[in-house]
Amino acid sequence: MQTQTIMDSLQEEEKRPYGIKDFIWIAFVILGSVYSYMQYGSLMDVYEVGILAGTAVAMIWLGRFWPSLMQMTYWVAGMTLVALWSYHNHGNVITANEQAFFLKFLVSSQSAIMWMSALFVLATATYFFALINKSQFTAKTATTLVWAGVVFGLVGMMVRWRESYIINVDYGHIPVSSLYEVFILFIVLTGLIYLYYEQKYKTRALGGFVMLVISSAVAFLLWYHFDRGAHEIQPLVPALKSYWMKIHVPANFIGYGAFSIAAMIGIAYLLTNRSLQKNPNSSFAAKMPSLEMMDDLMYKVISLGFAFFTIATILGAMWAAEAWGGYWSWDPKETWALIVWLNYAAWLHIRMSKGWRGTPMAWWAFIGLLITTFAFLGVNMFLSGLHSYGEL
Amino acid sequence: MNFLGSMNLAVTLLVMLSIASVIGTVLQQNQSFQDYIIKFGPFWTEVFNSLGLFHVYGAAWFILVLVFLLLSTSVCVVRNGPGFIKDMKQFSEKLSPTALKHQPNQTTLETNISAEDQQKIVSVVMQKHGYKTKIHQRDDGSVTIAGLKGKWNRLGYIFTHVSIIIICFGGLLDSNLLLKYRELTGNLLPETRTVSLDQVNQKSWVGPENLSFRGTVNIAENQKSDVLFLPYENGYLVQKLPFTIVNKDFRIQYYDTGMPKNYESDLELYIPGQEEPIRQTIEVNKPLYYENYAIYQSSFGDGGTELKINVYPLLSPMVNPLALETAVNKVEPLKTPVGRFRVEFNDFRNFNMVPLSEEEQKETGHKFHNNGPTVTFKVRNEQGKAWEYENYVIPNEQEGRWFFMTGVRNSPAEPYRYLFIPADAKRSKNRFFNYLAILNDPQKVRRIFQQQYPMAEGMDQRTYQLQMRLIEQLMTLFRQTGFAGISDFVKKSVPEAEQAKVSDYYFTQTTFALQSAYLELLKEEGVIKSHQEDIPDFDKTWFEDALTVVSSLSKYGPPMYFDITSFREIQATGLQITKSPGKDVVYFGSALLTIGVFFMFYVRQRRLWINIKPENERLELTLAGKDNKNLPEAKTEFDKIVEQIQNISKQA
Ligand code: HEM
Repeated sequence: MQTQTIMDSLQEEEKRPYGIKDFIWIAFVILGSVYSYMQYGSLMDVYEVGILAGTAVAMIWLGRFWPSLMQMTYWVAGMTLVALWSYHNHGNVITANEQAFFLKFLVSSQSAIMWMSALFVLATATYFFALINKSQFTAKTATTLVWAGVVFGLVGMMVRWRESYIINVDYGHIPVSSLYEVFILFIVLTGLIYLYYEQKYKTRALGGFVMLVISSAVAFLLWYHFDRGAHEIQPLVPALKSYWMKIHVPANFIGYGAFSIAAMIGIAYLLTNRSLQKNPNSSFAAKMPSLEMMDDLMYKVISLGFAFFTIATILGAMWAAEAWGGYWSWDPKETWALIVWLNYAAWLHIRMSKGWRGTPMAWWAFIGLLITTFAFLGVNMFLSGLHSYGEL
Repeated sequence: MNFLGSMNLAVTLLVMLSIASVIGTVLQQNQSFQDYIIKFGPFWTEVFNSLGLFHVYGAAWFILVLVFLLLSTSVCVVRNGPGFIKDMKQFSEKLSPTALKHQPNQTTLETNISAEDQQKIVSVVMQKHGYKTKIHQRDDGSVTIAGLKGKWNRLGYIFTHVSIIIICFGGLLDSNLLLKYRELTGNLLPETRTVSLDQVNQKSWVGPENLSFRGTVNIAENQKSDVLFLPYENGYLVQKLPFTIVNKDFRIQYYDTGMPKNYESDLELYIPGQEEPIRQTIEVNKPLYYENYAIYQSSFGDGGTELKINVYPLLSPMVNPLALETAVNKVEPLKTPVGRFRVEFNDFRNFNMVPLSEEEQKETGHKFHNNGPTVTFKVRNEQGKAWEYENYVIPNEQEGRWFFMTGVRNSPAEPYRYLFIPADAKRSKNRFFNYLAILNDPQKVRRIFQQQYPMAEGMDQRTYQLQMRLIEQLMTLFRQTGFAGISDFVKKSVPEAEQAKVSDYYFTQTTFALQSAYLELLKEEGVIKSHQEDIPDFDKTWFEDALTVVSSLSKYGPPMYFDITSFREIQATGLQITKSPGKDVVYFGSALLTIGVFFMFYVRQRRLWINIKPENERLELTLAGKDNKNLPEAKTEFDKIVEQIQNISKQA
């Protein structure tokens, strides 16, 4: 028998071949990056050009890795362009968001963020509704709502970026630099990471649980907006004006998002486990994924979070070295990042060495969320330090 | 040894480190002892202090935990490392068929193709799935093909754990262990007083031999420094630098909110033995690197702005200000008829932005308004009592009028109380001080009053004289205590039944007197020609504004007003300088850590064994698979390979 024949029979099961869609995607990403460079290149330093190029490469890879991202990106790009075009037509003044129809009702950053908030809250309810009714159709609707929420969130961020320059060129900055802005980032990234695992594990039963964290974040965001006026675009303090921010913050929030998802899976695990113990034929447990699967998913998500949190902490240290003159100052935010990191390192070790699974790990993942929340919010609320963004 | 390398110890240490870190963030670190006593009381302060909780990250036990973590991880790597490296290389192809049956995933198949073809199919499928293969011919005539994939996972383990060791080591290099050692042996003592450099305790100096440090220094424009101040326990140390830094220029830009937007310094670094200095501009996030040293732009302040000041005596009947040439950070003694004072000039600010109301924003198109420069200073009397002032240099417009603002407070905890000295038509304070000088001379006021209100016909001389005496006394009272003082006086010294009437009379008289003095001044200035003429509106409101000020002067502290006539701003740059030999070590460790973590999570080490045994014209296949992490996908993948082998074997 020839090697080639064997190869040929295996060939049929090859991965998805490159198709027209992929080429359109690659062309789209490249054109988009070149356009951004031509439009805004004069405002970038060499590192930022590097980040732009890196983002383009990553996007191409991500599109291949997870095709759903392509469609999402087209939506985001389209809606963002409508917003930019609308501002342009109104002479690039910020007050256009009260006059231009599209801006006022859909795509100015504030409208988009309100849409995002509504969609996520709606998605939460829809997921639970689907769980109760065992309705596949309702569950699919919930997924669509999450996608729509993510799209609006991303549009809100992109447009806010532009708006910061429209208000005052001096104020211009990427919207990941105040507590308000990173909350949007958190919502969007958590939504995305969840969607990825939902697709990969083919279960929508966990959606409601994960959306609970996101809805809480939405509630905080709305309170922060209406009670504190935090949505107003403020200029940056000098220490925050750095290209480091563009990579440090997103990496951090992939970590926070993943840890939150793990905690909510933990809760779903505990509930399922309890109803199984009460009644092995419990109808609730029948609707949920298997315990093994949730346990596995928890591990995967924590691994992802841990990896990105590691990178984020290292990037933070490098930034601190440049901004404050020391890579580690035991500043409360830094220290709490370390605590979060150590906590999950311990989680991973215990799972590995003692082979602990299930209930204790689920509880631990949930406690991990409390620690993470303190690192994210509590430090800003209760402790003072060098991290100057967003005091409550 | 076993204990040191155990996972239990590792997790315990991780948890201990976390708890220590929590303490360090919840208890504010490195505050003054006084603050702690106020917060916790003397007993707990003593307890916390002896546990090192006020400097957790420098406490001996904390370092000990770190050292143990380092040890534990090292032992762990030394113990597991070699095994893991071996594991990376070996295929375990000699594993017995019975052992294969005990692997996490295993199954058997039967086929009826030639052994040669079967071997080929198995090898190709395994290679297609990314396995490296090794073939082992057994004595019983069977063949085992062993596959191995993802051996980098093991490398990931080694990278991660070695990187922890490297990072801890780098961190220790940058810690102040050397200084701690010197302190323990009595060769080092932090300085706790604020004194000039030449008075700093000799034991508080550290030379350039210090391995690593991180400190700050402020350098005024066109000044230089070759020392650095290191915060240390409850005081500081002075670090001698192997170079001299000159601050040629400091610049700062502001947002329209008055918030600093960016600041930068033109530095020159003079290094002994090198003729040309290193010249570089540094700004926030853009430091200067020289050898092991890094110089960061970290803050800014006043570097001794030069001030020209006129000190107006507020109780003198003549306008004769005392000219003073001084600077921020200087202390000036003042000898005055009302006592001796020391004036400390604390700070100068060139911009004071205040938010505008919505209407004003619409009008001006700006969100903020610059109220102009201010000087803050303290006046201290001989008893040590101090008043703190904030004086604006230029007048500010309020409701169409211009005022010079001056704020005063008795302690830093209070807000400033402001006086608004009205500017005259030339936007100066001259008229105010001229007017004040008249009021400070009750006899002169009386003369002016007499001129404007000569004795009426039919009035008797004594009554008139009494009235004039009263004018004089009222003026004295008014200058000493203001309108409120006159009210108080009436309340205290007049029977209650008469109070309303007397008070009315006194106020009318005082107002007449003040007015007549003002009219006289206006005449002198040439604004009006006679006392009967109507006064322009501007001068009317000026009069009211001025009286408000004069009436409150008694609460303004010592009777002096510091008028800043000119200034030359000198800024100081705040530099942070570090020597950090461990930094690159830590970065290297971090890179290793990142790579290691990804290898460990996203590369799974997988093994596959397929034993092909001829049995009665047929082939019996034993397939076994093992994943170093027993994840659900290991089973799926194994099943897929089995299926493929089965299918292709059938087709053949
Ligand atoms: C700060 C210190 C440490 C960190 C951050 C750390 C981190 C990690 C991580 C992230 C994993 C991967 C877990 C997984 O794949 O699920 C791991 C695995 C492991 N760690 Fe650590 N570790 C540390 C210290 C130690 C120490 C002191 C020991 C010695 C007892 C140790 C022994 C191990 C072992 C044996 C594994 C399993 C490797 C394998 O079989 O794949 N670690 N470590």
